[in-house]
Amino acid sequence: MSDAGSEVAAKPGRHREATLYRALDGDGAPAGLSLAEHRDAARALFEQLELPVWRRSGFWTTSLAEIDLGAMRAHRGDAVPSIVTDTVGGLRRAGLIVQNGSATVHAEIDPTLAARGVILCSLERAASEHPELFARYYAKRLPYDRDKLSAGNGAFWSGGAFLYVPPDVQIEAPFDIVYSLDRGHTAQYARTLAIGDHHCELRLREWDLAGDDLDGPCVHAGAFELYLEDGARARLAHVQDWNPRHPTPGHRGEVADVSTHVVHVGRDAYCHWLPCILGGRLTRQHAELVISEPGGDMAFRGLFFAERAEHLDLFAVDLHETGPSGGDVHWRGAASGESRASFEGLIKINPGAQQSHTYLQIHTMMLSKAARLDAIPSVLVSADDVSASHGGTVGELDEDLIFYMRSRGLDRATAVRTIVEGFFEPLITELQDPELEAIVRARVTARLEHAAGDIEAYVTAR
Amino acid sequence: MADLEITNLHVRTDDREILHGVDLAVDKGEIHALMGLNGSGKSTLANTIMGHPSYEVTEGTIVFRGQDITEADPEDRAKAGLFLAFQYPVAIPGVSVANFLRMAINARREEPIRVKEFGQEMRGAVAMLDVDPSFTSRHLNAGFSGGEKKRAEILQLAMLKPEIAVLDETDSGLDVDALRTVAQGVAKLHSEQGLGVLLITHYERILQFVKPTHVHVMMDGKIVLRGGPDLADRIARDGYDEIRRQVAGDE
Repeated sequence: MSDAGSEVAAKPGRHREATLYRALDGDGAPAGLSLAEHRDAARALFEQLELPVWRRSGFWTTSLAEIDLGAMRAHRGDAVPSIVTDTVGGLRRAGLIVQNGSATVHAEIDPTLAARGVILCSLERAASEHPELFARYYAKRLPYDRDKLSAGNGAFWSGGAFLYVPPDVQIEAPFDIVYSLDRGHTAQYARTLAIGDHHCELRLREWDLAGDDLDGPCVHAGAFELYLEDGARARLAHVQDWNPRHPTPGHRGEVADVSTHVVHVGRDAYCHWLPCILGGRLTRQHAELVISEPGGDMAFRGLFFAERAEHLDLFAVDLHETGPSGGDVHWRGAASGESRASFEGLIKINPGAQQSHTYLQIHTMMLSKAARLDAIPSVLVSADDVSASHGGTVGELDEDLIFYMRSRGLDRATAVRTIVEGFFEPLITELQDPELEAIVRARVTARLEHAAGDIEAYVTAR
Repeated sequence: MADLEITNLHVRTDDREILHGVDLAVDKGEIHALMGLNGSGKSTLANTIMGHPSYEVTEGTIVFRGQDITEADPEDRAKAGLFLAFQYPVAIPGVSVANFLRMAINARREEPIRVKEFGQEMRGAVAMLDVDPSFTSRHLNAGFSGGEKKRAEILQLAMLKPEIAVLDETDSGLDVDALRTVAQGVAKLHSEQGLGVLLITHYERILQFVKPTHVHVMMDGKIVLRGGPDLADRIARDGYDEIRRQVAGDE
């Protein structure tokens, strides 16, 4: 945390603009603080700050003002919710952590991996049992002073997840980390710290899940950090779905999700990262992938689908601190119902990051007249021997495409579903994880079924 | 009554009448060539036969195998046995040729086609059209060359086995080798399965490979002249202007 950050944060209101749509840029929490000191500092800030409003002229406002944080409790769940068992129960994996509300309710790891030095446990446990690793990485790139909820996370996180893969250990099966909510009026401060030591290979899936039986509003304030040391390779996927099949028409779910995810790619390391953001009542996510050492490379993918009255505000950063480095950012999103979705993708190439080459593409598809979808690419380059560009498409359901498919015997609804599924398919197949691909496909299809009436009205109106 | 019977068809799009009373009858086992210059209304007729929502039939009927389909949905026309090979096939990103074909085949069956049967049929069709087997795992028409798109249309024709197919300028944009392959594929489906064909073109080139039984000339939204295969030869020799003069003289 810089001095300027403290000053900004101390004045309610000013932090709103100062932290808006900017890269984290390497700022973590101050070095040398113990966990207790870190929590105290974050708590002091939490108490000063108001709930944030992210405002962008001409586009949208994301406001947490409607949230009554005072009415939220740190509910300590005591069992694995059924939505978790139903979703990830049968998956092949190397290990699993499940958090319900504020408590870790399940932890398992393949014992042969544990014997090779792989650690998967709650973050609380890691702080006491692996203090050196914890101190070396914790909050290195995650500041707690960006807004009230990042401060809340720094102050109040509990349970949490910790993954450490030692040098040269290659693991084919994925690790699963699940944050779940099954009771209303819960504030969940979720925190994951994952480390891939040099030349290891790992797959990590993080899930955000709620059942359709939440009996009141909840807040999920997430913080995720992954550090990849020299030559490490990771495939990372986030699956966020806070509102899978709520029975009430037009219901937009109960969960407000304000999260910050950061991935640090070291020398000659590689990360393939694909967040699947399937929504909740209100989602504001900052996802930042940083190439911090020469030779780092990444593929930063993402898909999102906002429906009904959901509000989705995504900010993805492809940051190059040094070169040579590679980047390839490709996001796809759809919006149906009366949802509002905005995606900003920022490429930032710092001074001296020569021979960085990166490309950002954003493709969007509108599925209803009442939905709103903004896609904003931006590029900030401070080096002269680089290539950075962006492109994208704004898609609508094309009547000629629908006619083509109908002329082959497919009905209109099937044609539309096939087009939208096909729109996401290039990213879904990149997951290279058939079980996960099937889950994401099914959830996209479920959203299309919810939106069928909307889509029909939209297509025929044009 | 012919299998496909079009009577006094008037069609408008964008508030303009394009077809002004077209009569046309195509039976299974026949090959009809519909010739005419660009803008004469040939593609409008093709799209209207298949039920494109942008074309409004203001008068006349389309009857297919005894059923009035003038207002039918495109998918119902397809299931009844009509097929349109598009002049400009659209890309369907994210859907492979094979998956699309399986969906289209299953849409017209009660029971889904068995994997083995589907594979055999597809291998046969792929061999006939002289395409690389990897072709069917590519996304339909996404990044396809002009020739590949037309081959993909004929591949679908071969797999879906309609009674009557409308080929809308399938020959345009093809080099002579691709043209021969595509045309021989159509001729084979005609001779082996008795496919009825309405072949829309403004060149006679493709007719060397697919011999028409009937030739119709369309001008300004009407069929102005009908004849046998020799009419195509005459157009090749004398051009459309001569036809236009003759038609004007007849009137």
